[in-house]
Amino acid sequence: MTAASLARRPRAPNKGRAEALAGYLFIAVPMALFLVLNVGSIVYALFISVWKWNLRSGPVEFTGLRNYGTALSDPIFQTAIRNTLYYAVVWVPLTMALGLFLAVIVNQKIHGQTFFRAAFYFPAIASSAAITTLWIFIMAPDGIFNQVRGMVGLNPLFSLLGFTANQNWIGDQGTAMNTIILLNAWTTSGTFMLFYLASLQSISREVYEAAAIDGAGAWQTFRRITFPLLKPGHYFVATVAVIGALQLFDQALIGGGVDGAPNNALMTMVLYLYNAAFKQFNFSYAAAIGIILFVVIFTATLVQRRLFGQAPAW
Amino acid sequence: MRRQLLAALAALTIVVTACGGSATSSPSQAAPSAAASAASASASAAAPASAAASASPAGFDANAISGPVVLSGWQSSPAEGNALTQALLSFQATYPNVKVDYQPVAGDYPTVMAPKFASHDVPDLFYVNADYAQEWIAGGFLAPLDDYIAKSAFDTSQFFPGYASIFKGADGKTYGFPKDGNTIAMAYNTALVTSAPKTLDALVTLAQSLKGKSGLKAPICLNPGLDRGLAFLYAQGGSLLTADGKASAIDTAPSKAAIQWYMDLFKSGLGMTASDMGAGWCGDALGKKSAAIIFEGGWLDPSMTSTYPDVKYAWAQLPTGSSGSPVTISFTVSYSIGADSKNKDQAWVLLQYLTGKDGMTKWTQGGVALPARKDVPTPAGKDVLAASSAFAKPGSGFMVGWPAVQKAFQDAFTAQIQGKTFNADPVITATKAAIDKALAGG
Repeated sequence: MTAASLARRPRAPNKGRAEALAGYLFIAVPMALFLVLNVGSIVYALFISVWKWNLRSGPVEFTGLRNYGTALSDPIFQTAIRNTLYYAVVWVPLTMALGLFLAVIVNQKIHGQTFFRAAFYFPAIASSAAITTLWIFIMAPDGIFNQVRGMVGLNPLFSLLGFTANQNWIGDQGTAMNTIILLNAWTTSGTFMLFYLASLQSISREVYEAAAIDGAGAWQTFRRITFPLLKPGHYFVATVAVIGALQLFDQALIGGGVDGAPNNALMTMVLYLYNAAFKQFNFSYAAAIGIILFVVIFTATLVQRRLFGQAPAW
Repeated sequence: MRRQLLAALAALTIVVTACGGSATSSPSQAAPSAAASAASASASAAAPASAAASASPAGFDANAISGPVVLSGWQSSPAEGNALTQALLSFQATYPNVKVDYQPVAGDYPTVMAPKFASHDVPDLFYVNADYAQEWIAGGFLAPLDDYIAKSAFDTSQFFPGYASIFKGADGKTYGFPKDGNTIAMAYNTALVTSAPKTLDALVTLAQSLKGKSGLKAPICLNPGLDRGLAFLYAQGGSLLTADGKASAIDTAPSKAAIQWYMDLFKSGLGMTASDMGAGWCGDALGKKSAAIIFEGGWLDPSMTSTYPDVKYAWAQLPTGSSGSPVTISFTVSYSIGADSKNKDQAWVLLQYLTGKDGMTKWTQGGVALPARKDVPTPAGKDVLAASSAFAKPGSGFMVGWPAVQKAFQDAFTAQIQGKTFNADPVITATKAAIDKALAGG
């Protein structure tokens, strides 16, 4: 009996079923946890959002869609939705561009390539609370940013844009959100750089060689060859970015407190949910907010899937 | 063999990393602190002194109660931990049969307590901040104490009304007693301010003379919210609610004038927010010498001693305004028993001791907080703050829905000072709407 003939023999039916059973048993525990903790929590949140719910004694009164109505008509929640969408619309393309830029640079054979990759990725793994606190210090009215731009002589440019010499970047309602966008663009660009790097390295060398033979310059190569071939990367990064952007919380809480100060400039949907739950102790209302957020993110993901076509196979 | 070992190590690493949690970790309940376990260990080892408390009439004998009691709360500083240990040791000597198990909460206290209420697994005695006292009472999380008060003939007359009234529910029952308190007074840099102003007009004159001096960002550090603004509102004869608490009074003429007066401090550059000064709070502003006059409570002292020991400052009463009488606002925290607590009798023994004369003296004599009772001696160096307790009105927790009212005021006020329009009318409109909504039960 040769190996080849062994391979050609059909498998005994028992063995196939036993293998399938083994497979199911392996995933049984994680799948059970996923169903109970993830799917179950969403279903439970949906359930309690249609009641007036007392934290200790449970359901008090069936209110139907009243919580949803209150939420959607609350001007603070509308501000929260606006802030979150503004953040997503500005931050996602900015960080994707930054991540792609870093990935292209770091993909070349330069000295210290590994060091640069580690350095660009580091902010993503550092504690978000620590980095945000550091950022607040840097952007304080008498912080390093304002001092350095004064020393370097950039102040006239800034006052042209309407900023004073000791502008309070995070405390001012006009600039707070943009400051957080810059912070998150810097910290998350490393993660997106990694994703794009993986994508870049899957483009075969021959395509670039063919382009070089045809006389394409660096920018043309990037625009016409690299960028389109990165479609799987774009799809993945964009989806992950949008889902993350719509859930902005950490930096908003640390930068503006639980009330989204100043004047709701940093109030995001998740911060509003946290406020409703742990400041006002209205948990059914918070659950309704959670469901609304779920619908928004789900819709955004579906829209992206339509825009980018089917999820491409890697 | 080696490959299997490597695989096992990798699996272990993954499991440990996963359990280590992500960047946004939720606060977890702290294990009983070393100080507390040392306290209970040494207390039970020490020879119990003869029970000093007299047996109470009418059915509740505190000396006859025995069993464990789980005490919980937060600990803002090691000094607080020490003071509480002293109080608990003294309790253990008086009531040796009740064993205290101190389990402080690390992290955000309301966030940690919420799941405990939901799962009906609450400590026996715990802190309740005035900020959310009305929410917790209305939610039914706390146990009413009137039975215990009657059966043990607990003397409630010595509590300052400004503190005790906060922990009464809408049904008139008592749900907690204040464990201590703090009032807002004026702290000023003695190098820049030689004599403290007695009236708000004198304060403005003094501030005008200080403007631009000695590297001050602004003479006074102020908060754009009711957490301090309420004191000035009262001082100038205004009010948030009518005397019976049933309707809003923020749109009366004195209230409007008071809010506009407060707004004008920002307009004239005499007052500035801590954030605009580059400080986390006004205490930091005083320490960094960005402001000469601030309005804070007793928590300022330990902070200044540890962070800015070289800055010399003094306390003075909040200057009187057009209302003519001294007024300020107070903040307090109660000891309360949970509705689902398992050891309510033991918790009551601990509560009536810690909020009684002896327990409160032990807790406050080190200066971590002010007494909430008239018969407890004032801690050293806290005369101004303690004297203010007599005329302090509650600074929070006097109405259901207070967080939403505070937020409405602060949002509108911040919009005015950052938009540089400095108009009090939108602030009053927004706050009135929030008050009406809160009073209607929304």
